[in-house]
Amino acid sequence: MDAFVQPGFWVFVLALAGIYGIFALGLQIQYGVGGIMNFGHVGMMAVSGYTIAVLVIKYQWSFWWAAFVGVVLAALLGALLGLTTLRLSGDYFAIASIAFAEITRYWILNTDSVTGGTQGTLAIPNPLGFGGYTNQPDLILTWISDRLYPIVGDEASRDMSMIFIVWPFLFLFIWIASKLQQTSWARVLRATREDDDVPRSLGKNVFRFRLQTLVIGSVFGGIAGVFWALQFALLAPEDFLRIVTFYGWMILILAGATRVKGLIIASIFFGFLYGSTRFLEFWPLSLLSSPERAYLRVFLIGFVIILLMLKRPQGLFGKRQEMVLE
Amino acid sequence: MENLASASSTNLDNSSPDFAILDVRNISVSFGGVRPVQDVSFKISENSFTSVIGPNGAGKTSLFNLISGMNKVSAGEIIFRQQAIQAIHPHKIAQKGLIRTFQGAKIIKRLTVAENLMMAVQGNPGDNLSGFLRIRARRDFEAQARAEAMRRLDQVGLTKFADEYAGILSGGQRKLLDLSRALMAKPSLLLLDEPFAGVNPTLVEKLIMVLGELRKEKSMTFLLIEHDLETVMNISDRVIVMADGKIIADGLPGAIYENEVVIDAYLGSRRKEIK
Repeated sequence: MDAFVQPGFWVFVLALAGIYGIFALGLQIQYGVGGIMNFGHVGMMAVSGYTIAVLVIKYQWSFWWAAFVGVVLAALLGALLGLTTLRLSGDYFAIASIAFAEITRYWILNTDSVTGGTQGTLAIPNPLGFGGYTNQPDLILTWISDRLYPIVGDEASRDMSMIFIVWPFLFLFIWIASKLQQTSWARVLRATREDDDVPRSLGKNVFRFRLQTLVIGSVFGGIAGVFWALQFALLAPEDFLRIVTFYGWMILILAGATRVKGLIIASIFFGFLYGSTRFLEFWPLSLLSSPERAYLRVFLIGFVIILLMLKRPQGLFGKRQEMVLE
Repeated sequence: MENLASASSTNLDNSSPDFAILDVRNISVSFGGVRPVQDVSFKISENSFTSVIGPNGAGKTSLFNLISGMNKVSAGEIIFRQQAIQAIHPHKIAQKGLIRTFQGAKIIKRLTVAENLMMAVQGNPGDNLSGFLRIRARRDFEAQARAEAMRRLDQVGLTKFADEYAGILSGGQRKLLDLSRALMAKPSLLLLDEPFAGVNPTLVEKLIMVLGELRKEKSMTFLLIEHDLETVMNISDRVIVMADGKIIADGLPGAIYENEVVIDAYLGSRRKEIK
C-alpha cells in the first residue's frame, strides 16, 4: 500500500487518466449525445497509434505528420464503419462495431511485415535499424521535464511531462465538446437518441447527423491513440483488446453519459483503479502475484459498471430525472 | 365551432382542383400478405382542409406513412408540388414543406418542451457542423426560434412547461406539443394524425381557430385523420372515407354524411353524434 503515497504513482494515474479521458470523450459524443453504442472504439486508437509507429519507423516520417495522418485515418475508419453499419439499429450496430475493432486488431496481428505482428512495433522492419518512434516528441517531454526538475526534483519524469501535454488537450477538447453540445446540431442528435422518426419527419437527415457524430468520436479515439503511442513508446496488438473500449465505457457511465464535464473526475477514478490493483497487497489479495493482482482491475471495472447500472444509472453527475421519464 | 370551409375560396371540385398540391396516384403497399393501402388515388387542392375518416384498420395512418415517406409504396406515385416524392427520403419530403404529426404524439422526452419545438425550425445554421463557428448567426437564430417556440406554447397553454422535460407532459399535452412542433416547421401541407384525441374540447376549438388562421394567412393546406365526426364535419371542406385500405367515398362533408356506403361501413349509429 506504500505505493499510494508515492508521487510517481499518482503521476502515472493522472497521465493515464488524461489519455482515457480523451478516449471516453469520443464515446460521450457518440453515445451521450447521439445514442450510438460503439463497442469498437479501441479500433480507432489502434489505427492512429500504429499509423504513427509504422510511418515514423518504416518510412521515417515526422512524428507530427504521422500523428496527423493517424487521426485522419481513425476518422476515415469511423466514416467507413458508419457508412457500412450505421443503418443497423442499436444493439446490432454495437455488435458490428466490436467486429470492426477486432478485424483491425487481427489485421495488425497478422501483418508482420508492416506492423511487427505479435512482437509489436519493436519488430517493425526499418532501414535505419532503430525501433523507436518518439524521438521528436521526446525532445519536448525532456524539455518539460528539465523545467520541472528545479520545482519537483527527482520526481520530474516522462510521465509527469505527459501530464502537462495531455491534460491541456483534455480540457480544450472538453470545452469544445461542451460548446458543440449546446448547438442545435446536438439537439437534433439528442432527439435521434430517442426516436428517429421525429427528426426525420421534421427534415433532419438522421443518417448524416449520426455519421458526423461517429466520425467526431473517432477523431477523439484517434487522438487518444496518439497520446497512448507517445506514453508507452511501444505498441503491441494486446494493447488494443476489446476490454479497452469498456474501460472507456466505465468512465462514461461513471461520469453520467450526458455530462461531459464529469469525465474529468471519472477518468481520474478509472486511472486510480487501473493503476492501483497491482499494489493491493492486503490479505487475501496478498496470495496473488503482482501481475495477477493487476488483472483484478478487469473484475473491479466490471463490478463498478454493474453497481452503477443498479444503483446510479445516471452516473455520478447525471440527472436521475432523465432516466425515469417515460 | 367555426366552419373552416368558409375560410377558403378554393375550388372544392376535387376531381379537377385548380392546383393540386398533392396528387396521390394509385398507391398501394403490402407488408407480407397484408395490404393496408390498395390502389388509392386522390388530389388535394392547395389551401384546402381535407379529412380522412374510417374505421380502425382502414389504412389511414398507413396512407400518411406513405405520403410522408416513412414507408415506401409498393406501387403508384405521389406527386407533391409537381414533384414525385414516393422514392425519396422522409427528411427530404419534409424539407419540401410536407410535415406530419403522429398518431401516438411522438415527443422527445429528454428534450425540454421548448427544445422539442425549436428542433423543428428549418434552415438553422447550427444544424450543420459548418455553422459551429458562426457563433453570432447561431445565437441570433436560436433567439428567434425560442421566441417563436414561446409564442406557439402560449397558443396551446404550455408556456409554464417550456423548460421542463417533455416527458413530464400528459397525453393530451403531448398531442398539443406534437401539433405545435409541426407548425414550427412552417409546412405548406400538414398531415395531422388524430391531433385532437385526448385534448379538452375548449382547447380543440382554440386549435381549430389557430389552424384556420394559418390556412387564411399562410395559405397552409391540411390533411387530417380524425375520429370525432363533429370536428370533421365542421372543420373540413372535403372528406375522404377509407375502409379496408381503399377509398370508399370522397366528397363534401354533407354528401359524405348522407352517403349510404359510408353509413354502412363507418358512420352507422355514430351519425347522431353530430349536432
